[in-house]
Amino acid sequence: MRIIGVYNIKGGVGKTAAAVNLAYLSAREGYRTLIWDLDPQAAATFYLRVKPEVKGGSREMIKRGNELDDHIKGSDFDNLDLLPADFSYRNMDLMLGEAKKPAKQLLRLLRPLSEQYDRIFLDCPPSISLVSENIFRAADGLLIPTIPTTLSLRTYRQLVEFLDGHRVNGVERMPFFSMVDRRKRMHLDMLEQLPGRYPELMKSFIPYASEVERMGIHRAPLSVYAARSVAGDAYERLWAEVKGRL
Amino acid sequence: MITPVSNYQLPTEWSLEACLHALGDAFPLDSDPDQGLVCTYFDTFDWRLYKGGELLRLEQEGRERHLIWSGLDDANPRQSLRNPERLPVFAPDLPPGAMAERLGPLMAMRALLPVVEVKSRMVILRVLDDEEKTVLRIVLEEGQARTPGSASWHPMGLSLRLMPVRGYNEELAEVKRFLRKKMGLRECPEGRLAAALAALGRKPLDYSSKLDFHFSPDQRADAVARQIHLHLLNTIEANIPGVKAATDSEFLHDLRVAVRRTRSALTQIKGVFEAQDLERFKGRLAWVGAVTGPTRDMDVYLLGFDGYQNSLPKAFRKDLEPLREFLIAHQASEQQTLVNRINSPHFRGLLKEWREFLEAPPPQSPGAPKARKKIAKVAGRRIYRVYERVMIEGLMILPNTPAERLHELRKECKKLRYLLEFFQSLYPKKKIKVLVKALKVLLDNLGEFQDYEVQALKLRELAHQMVAEGSVPADTLLAMGMLVDGLLRRQQQAREQFTECFAVFSGREVSDLFETLFPHKPKPDLGELGAGS
Repeated sequence: MRIIGVYNIKGGVGKTAAAVNLAYLSAREGYRTLIWDLDPQAAATFYLRVKPEVKGGSREMIKRGNELDDHIKGSDFDNLDLLPADFSYRNMDLMLGEAKKPAKQLLRLLRPLSEQYDRIFLDCPPSISLVSENIFRAADGLLIPTIPTTLSLRTYRQLVEFLDGHRVNGVERMPFFSMVDRRKRMHLDMLEQLPGRYPELMKSFIPYASEVERMGIHRAPLSVYAARSVAGDAYERLWAEVKGRL
Repeated sequence: MITPVSNYQLPTEWSLEACLHALGDAFPLDSDPDQGLVCTYFDTFDWRLYKGGELLRLEQEGRERHLIWSGLDDANPRQSLRNPERLPVFAPDLPPGAMAERLGPLMAMRALLPVVEVKSRMVILRVLDDEEKTVLRIVLEEGQARTPGSASWHPMGLSLRLMPVRGYNEELAEVKRFLRKKMGLRECPEGRLAAALAALGRKPLDYSSKLDFHFSPDQRADAVARQIHLHLLNTIEANIPGVKAATDSEFLHDLRVAVRRTRSALTQIKGVFEAQDLERFKGRLAWVGAVTGPTRDMDVYLLGFDGYQNSLPKAFRKDLEPLREFLIAHQASEQQTLVNRINSPHFRGLLKEWREFLEAPPPQSPGAPKARKKIAKVAGRRIYRVYERVMIEGLMILPNTPAERLHELRKECKKLRYLLEFFQSLYPKKKIKVLVKALKVLLDNLGEFQDYEVQALKLRELAHQMVAEGSVPADTLLAMGMLVDGLLRRQQQAREQFTECFAVFSGREVSDLFETLFPHKPKPDLGELGAGS
């Protein structure tokens, strides 16, 4: 089992779109794949048409431990399941804080699923918190969608400092450019200059595209309704690269 | 946590259209494009995968082929292999990993054969919730089945399958309720394979080499004997194609066992057939036993070859390879001889006459003395007689008794075992089981004792043959000598264990059961005789 966190401190960077589309590609290849929507905004849950509720909420989940199993929902696609979001996840930090070894709770919850799934994607809420620290410690790989702007780059550096400062090793850092707009000078410059400075940067990037936004209308992964689109191809390339890195 | 698939076989009054209507009126549905399916189910001739709760099928869709391993419900594949280069026949051909680990030991030495072919059309419905999310898939399938290689397809009727979506059990329960209450359907535990076989007038597990007769004590002895013989004849005939094609070694084995049981039944169920009929068939059946022997001998060596090889120290193992080649070559020539024999008018005539004899109505006033007696009496007396003989012969075996006497005892034990197997339905199951188990311990021991000796002698014979036929490396002969030594030592061990094995059989529990279960004439009480004189 491989756990892949999709995370950025900032919101609105194409995080959920990446989690859902990559998880779908993984499932399509025959890997048993689960998405855990940890973001109380429940965007991944919405994309997959599942109702955002978890009986007992995050308190029960963390207290009782091994019951993730009961909350999993099958998606409309073979091999792809979802652990839906719940509004109570907004308080997950508090719940985690009350537990023993607060930074390793998610890993403990996920472990029993290793028999059932080959890949687990964590769609993480933005901001740095105890939840995100849990994710860093549980994940084998961390996908970090980043808009090619100076501000986004600053937040990426903040993340790197956090990871180093908290001695989170053993997680493959995989930043990639997201929502790239080729009409913008700054995006093009960054695309050109940064790979030299950040060798961990993925070669594939996701363009800004209206078909990605339409996921909210179709409520399905991109490949289902726009398989041969520019953005669809971009996700496939990114997925191929992610597999190589894990 | 994964809910299993539910299968329903629809009665003929339900057409596909009527089904779609009924479901469409009751649930918000969407549908996926219809799918065509062409698939072939595989199993060994004696259903080893099915008996182990496993199914293996090849699905074809255009150029795409999938080898799918699943449980008996046909869904939730345990493993699926896309476009396999070649289909597995024997266990070592299975794709490595879980499939080989699970299915290999079930198959053992048997070959996979196509059991039935299915082609069908599937209408796939999706039950939606108010988010338009699929919460359950309903598959309606209308198919046809045929025996692989045959031309004619037989309709299978309409079936319905519920494919649950994880986490939506309430919706599943609701649809199940509807199927039961509004459509009057009953869930059936078996899936497509059973339906396909039913279309051909067959069912799973319709071949087994095990005997499972159900007789009642009052049946006429000659009728029962005929029934036993007919069953054994069916087994012989069922195995002939596999023997001729050399599909795997067990066809010949099962055929030989059925012939042996037939010969034993002929002589052991005494007085039910006319003497001249008995004579007509006895000798010819013995001939079948004899002509099938050499191929089986080679098969036994080849099946056990790896075991032989591994019984030698590592450095000597490769020296045995020329023997393997020799065996393979000779197996092939023996097999050819065997096929000629099976195709011969003599063999075909025997089976034909034997069947005609067995299928003819039992004579009204038979000349055979026990033909019209009740089977319980005939069987009970006979079993007791053979048991007595086993006891007398067994008790007379001492550490220095010649080997032949043990071989004789083995023959008697086999007769007893066949009799118990033929007539077990006449007696309480649990009690018969105790007897068969104790007898098996003894038979296994006697079998080892004799087989190791036979194998050792045969190896010596093979060594001479190899020398006579050309150059054989000295190392090979040496390694064979080591094998002979090992076999003789194991034979000696078997001999040492005989007393213990016989003690189990001759113990109080077993002898009490024989005394009470099988009617027999009471023994003269020696004590009383003595008092009178």
